[in-house]
Amino acid sequence: MNARDGVVKVRSDVVKVRHGLAHVPAAPVALAAGAAAWELTGRLADASFFPPISTVLARLAELTGDGTILPALRDSLVNLALGLVISLVGGLVVGVAMGRFRKVEAALGVYVYALLTAPSLVFAPVFFSLFGAGRGAIVAVVVTYAMFVVIVNTAAAIRSVPAHLVEMARSYGAGEVQVLLRVMLPAAAPMIMAGARLGVGRAVTGMINGEMFIAVVGLGHIVTEAGGRFDSASVLAVLLVVIAVALGAVALVQAVDRRVTRWVPKTSRGHR
Amino acid sequence: MSAAPAPRAPLRRILDANWPYQLLTFALFAAVWELYARQRGGLLLPGFAETARATVDLLGEAELWRALYVSNQALALGFGIAVVAGVPAGIVLGRFRLVERYADVYLNILLVTPMAAIIPLLVMSVGVGLASRVLLVAVFSIVMVVVNSRTGVRQVDPSLIEMARSFGAGERQIWARILLPGALPAIMTGVRLGIGRAVTGMVIVELLMVSDGLGGLILTYRGLLKAPLLYGTIVIILAEALLLISVARWAERKLTRWARTQTTGGAQ
Amino acid sequence: MIKIRGLGKSFTGQDGSTVAALRDVDLDVGAHEFLTVLGPSGCGKTTLLKAVAGLVPWDDGDILVDGAPVRGPGPDRSVVFQDFALLPWATVLDNVAFGLRMRGVGRAEREERARSLIATVGLTGFESKLPGELSGGMQQRVGIARALAVRPRVLLMDEPFGAVDEQTRRLLQEELLSIWEEHRPTVVFVTHSMEEAVLLGDRVVLMSARPGRIADIVPVGLPRPRAGDVGALGKSGEYAEITAYLWDRLRAMHAEHRPAGAAS
Repeated sequence: MNARDGVVKVRSDVVKVRHGLAHVPAAPVALAAGAAAWELTGRLADASFFPPISTVLARLAELTGDGTILPALRDSLVNLALGLVISLVGGLVVGVAMGRFRKVEAALGVYVYALLTAPSLVFAPVFFSLFGAGRGAIVAVVVTYAMFVVIVNTAAAIRSVPAHLVEMARSYGAGEVQVLLRVMLPAAAPMIMAGARLGVGRAVTGMINGEMFIAVVGLGHIVTEAGGRFDSASVLAVLLVVIAVALGAVALVQAVDRRVTRWVPKTSRGHR
Repeated sequence: MSAAPAPRAPLRRILDANWPYQLLTFALFAAVWELYARQRGGLLLPGFAETARATVDLLGEAELWRALYVSNQALALGFGIAVVAGVPAGIVLGRFRLVERYADVYLNILLVTPMAAIIPLLVMSVGVGLASRVLLVAVFSIVMVVVNSRTGVRQVDPSLIEMARSFGAGERQIWARILLPGALPAIMTGVRLGIGRAVTGMVIVELLMVSDGLGGLILTYRGLLKAPLLYGTIVIILAEALLLISVARWAERKLTRWARTQTTGGAQ
Repeated sequence: MIKIRGLGKSFTGQDGSTVAALRDVDLDVGAHEFLTVLGPSGCGKTTLLKAVAGLVPWDDGDILVDGAPVRGPGPDRSVVFQDFALLPWATVLDNVAFGLRMRGVGRAEREERARSLIATVGLTGFESKLPGELSGGMQQRVGIARALAVRPRVLLMDEPFGAVDEQTRRLLQEELLSIWEEHRPTVVFVTHSMEEAVLLGDRVVLMSARPGRIADIVPVGLPRPRAGDVGALGKSGEYAEITAYLWDRLRAMHAEHRPAGAAS
């Protein structure tokens, strides 16, 4: 419920900020138009690989009804949640260390940036051999996708905390831990949250890719199976579920973001 | 970052540089890997030294170079399409708010959509040949290019446009002299990030559906339980990705010297 | 030279309400006059300047420059911007030549004129630097050179020295005065500094806020040329008298809009 509210609110914010005079919210109109175009093209093209949206929705209902989607969705969400928690905790710790200590940055920086841009799925075979064909390997893939962007943003955020704030805290006798907890982390929060948002998007991608490659559990498994049967309606039906998961997860992070960074002035708040 | 000219103890200078720490990390990583593989080693878990040797051996194999050629063909074509179509699309979105308003929701969806899931559809529509690999590379990378080009045009300082108008510049001159040069750094960032995604797309499609090229090689070696070669292939893919990204970063710096201090926006 | 009659403009806010930025503004600027426009922030002085530049449309009234109605930017006017508005990717030379380029002046002539103006503003040797490599004061010198390069009859300056430090501002004021005393373009100079308005202007136009109107026009009798030593002028009795008068008026305006004691 919370997450869905988030989505709606975010969208209307964007519309209001960018187009003060427009009364028609663009997103629903655009989505409805897109759906209509999809239906029409699907019907006209009559191609096996591009079924109209009505067929896809019908298939989605069918898959939900026969108990295919929900257990897989639950498995996927567990993979996602585990991977995300590890990524966020690990990313925060490593990122703070990198931002705070030059030697840690020197030791890890290059590798973190390399792994951030590397095609993460090539590590899937490695995880496969390390953890076997199961949840462990998929969670590891999720972490490879999500953690590095969190690290990079956290490190940058800590580094860009204004020095005068730290000096101010020191002048009042704050110790290292207090400086970190009371000044650095709060000041860095907006950028850290931006990293978390990117991390969530990447985590969903990692989840699907990992599940498609390792293909034993979750939504990715269904996609791979349906793809093997050339069942395009099922592929698209699952894809819709995946997009919903991704948007829901991002909205959740945004809701947290709004709580954490309430002090950031409206005008300097990025929308995306 | 440059070494201070003042006389300093040599040890101090070494401690101030980055490379000793990088080297240390690498050595530690290699040692842990080697030890773990020796302790728990199985058919699918080669040691570090073994992998290094296999990587060197692979570079002498015709099989690898054929796979590299096959993969990069798709990469070059797909990424070319992404840039040629994505940059103008992003610029249009950035300049014309009305189009952007309606496209925005789709861009937001595309940014979080795992593109790998459409691989089965691609295979169904254009088969398992070059076409589906090219298309997937394009689909993977185009969103980055579009989003960053859009950001680039949008973040051009409006006062520059006003300034140009005050000197009588027309729409065409504003495009040529203000908008495009101003958006170039962000466009180049999009191209760099796009290359990363393109390599990802190239490998993913080969790993998941179209068993050909480098991804195909990984699957083959896995099937044959030739773990060192499997790991060697992974190393080579990573090396190629990093090489391409470094080249893109170098070009980006070269072309947009003026913006180096300025942080250019864009999603990762 | 410039004739403004019954100028009015209002903005529509985000919430749909309208705010009058300018109302019933009548103003004449003589040829070769140096006119300064002074007012509290939000009084519409920048809007007035940009309307004369042809950069913003207005709702009521007319603006004539040399008898011709303003319908957009024209070669007779050029603007010096508050935030400099330099192209960060172009060299000093290219920035100064920008206006000439927009007007289709050929490369050789463009560069020659740009170089001579770079010399006028004292930036010789910096031709191939990028704006990012210059200090704020130097950047605005580039902005002034760019505006002068197109040989405008009217120079419109929008708080040009608002973003530089006090010493640099003093130097730039003296340089602007000596350039003006040599070439004598008509200048409309918007500022929020009383001192600057009095030191530079032949007349000071005092504007009031919400809606922006002309509250007063004060002639400045300080002798010209003033470029030699602006500091000495600042000690004269006439200067003290005019600034005191302007301050009284400004304080009265603040009192109308805010509770007593609130600073802007």
